[in-house]
Amino acid sequence: MEMSDAAAVSRARTGDADAFRLLVERHSPMIFRVAWRMTGNEHDADDVVQEAFLRAYRQIDAFEERANFSTWLHRIAVNCALDLLRARKRADAHYGGDPEAAELIGVLPGSEPQQDRLLISSEMKDAVAAAMERLSGNERTAFMLRHFEGMPVEEIGKTLGIQVNAAKHTIFRAVRKLRESLEPIVRTTTRTQCT
Amino acid sequence: MHLNEEQLILHHYHDDDAPAAAEQHLAACAECRAQYQLLRSVLALVSEAPVPELGPEYGSEVWNRLRWKLGRQPRVRRAVWIPAVAAAAVLAIVFVAGAWWHSRTSQQQHVTPQLASTTSTGAMQVAANAPNTSAQGDRFLVLVVSDHLDSTERMLLEVANADPKKSLDTSASQKRAEELVASNRIFRQTATQRGDARIASVLSDIEPVLLELSHARNNLSGEELSSLQKRIEARGLLFKVRVVSAKTGETELPPMSKGTNSL
Repeated sequence: MEMSDAAAVSRARTGDADAFRLLVERHSPMIFRVAWRMTGNEHDADDVVQEAFLRAYRQIDAFEERANFSTWLHRIAVNCALDLLRARKRADAHYGGDPEAAELIGVLPGSEPQQDRLLISSEMKDAVAAAMERLSGNERTAFMLRHFEGMPVEEIGKTLGIQVNAAKHTIFRAVRKLRESLEPIVRTTTRTQCT
Repeated sequence: MHLNEEQLILHHYHDDDAPAAAEQHLAACAECRAQYQLLRSVLALVSEAPVPELGPEYGSEVWNRLRWKLGRQPRVRRAVWIPAVAAAAVLAIVFVAGAWWHSRTSQQQHVTPQLASTTSTGAMQVAANAPNTSAQGDRFLVLVVSDHLDSTERMLLEVANADPKKSLDTSASQKRAEELVASNRIFRQTATQRGDARIASVLSDIEPVLLELSHARNNLSGEELSSLQKRIEARGLLFKVRVVSAKTGETELPPMSKGTNSL
């Protein structure tokens, strides 16, 4: 029978490397998806995955057994990604908006590939990436957590260290920006499909 | 009374207090229904952009990169991003100086070979401030990357030549590794943006090793050292770094404008 997360955490606390390995192998893809949606960059996402598991390992004694390990780890990963984005933002600030020189934080949000999904063109992917780039760090994170992770607004507020109402309005702003950028494409596509 | 955008967003995410009322209104109001459909289409488009596919071995790969770091007792240490933050702060200072310098030299329509000897942090700035004409910009990039590659090669050599039967003292090199990770990341992204796949690829290959060295405590055990040496050898990292370094050494400096004076 497969070991549960709770059992693996208990054993990892006693120094059982195989138990922690099981947690790493089980949760890495999920953490990567979160990290990638937030950073939009595979290398950064890999770094976040590494850092998240390192932090989890170091803080595993602080994990409450009644809690859900996946949720706990998820929050650590989000914090790691936020740290990275904040560091990147500082680096970006001094480039004065020069797109050639700036470190671009392109975010291409996504979800699990499914067979029955419509394939979107590379132009649309670019448009989505450009639209996501218009979002601030908080807007990107709040939107990602609500849209892709289904995290409740209250939880998003806690994660970002802001009030619930502020979290809600951050999501509103993010969606509004996305609509402004992507509605023309959606309208064009709809018209094309109708004709 | 129509549903406003915020109400439509709340309804979409099932965050509204009265979903039944919203449903009723949408059923009755064509205008709101059209707006709601548009919103859903936009969000569906965002959802369609795919996440890079991970192989079935991804979890094992993550574990293999982590395992040697976990042989120690857990401890609280400073965040890995601090070097990047520090690098960013330094970059901000250098930017002001770089902008002044760039402006001054542009006015003189003059480019000097002294660029190649700038510090790695200054070099990053020069790479970013380099002329946007691709040929000239690429030459600047390889010039400033060469210093970084030299430092990286020295660090890789220290690891590759160390005796795996003994532990390796990394207390002096850990800080340097952190700085190299920060600068490597910036150079890699600059190379990618400028379309220099060769440099970007090498920088991408060496980054995980630098990252592991930056995470090392005061020393690497023989086992950890051996694992790292195998990775350096298996990926031919030293060879790749030397090849790129050699090619950057062949790169000519941007030509000086006619009629200008040297400093």
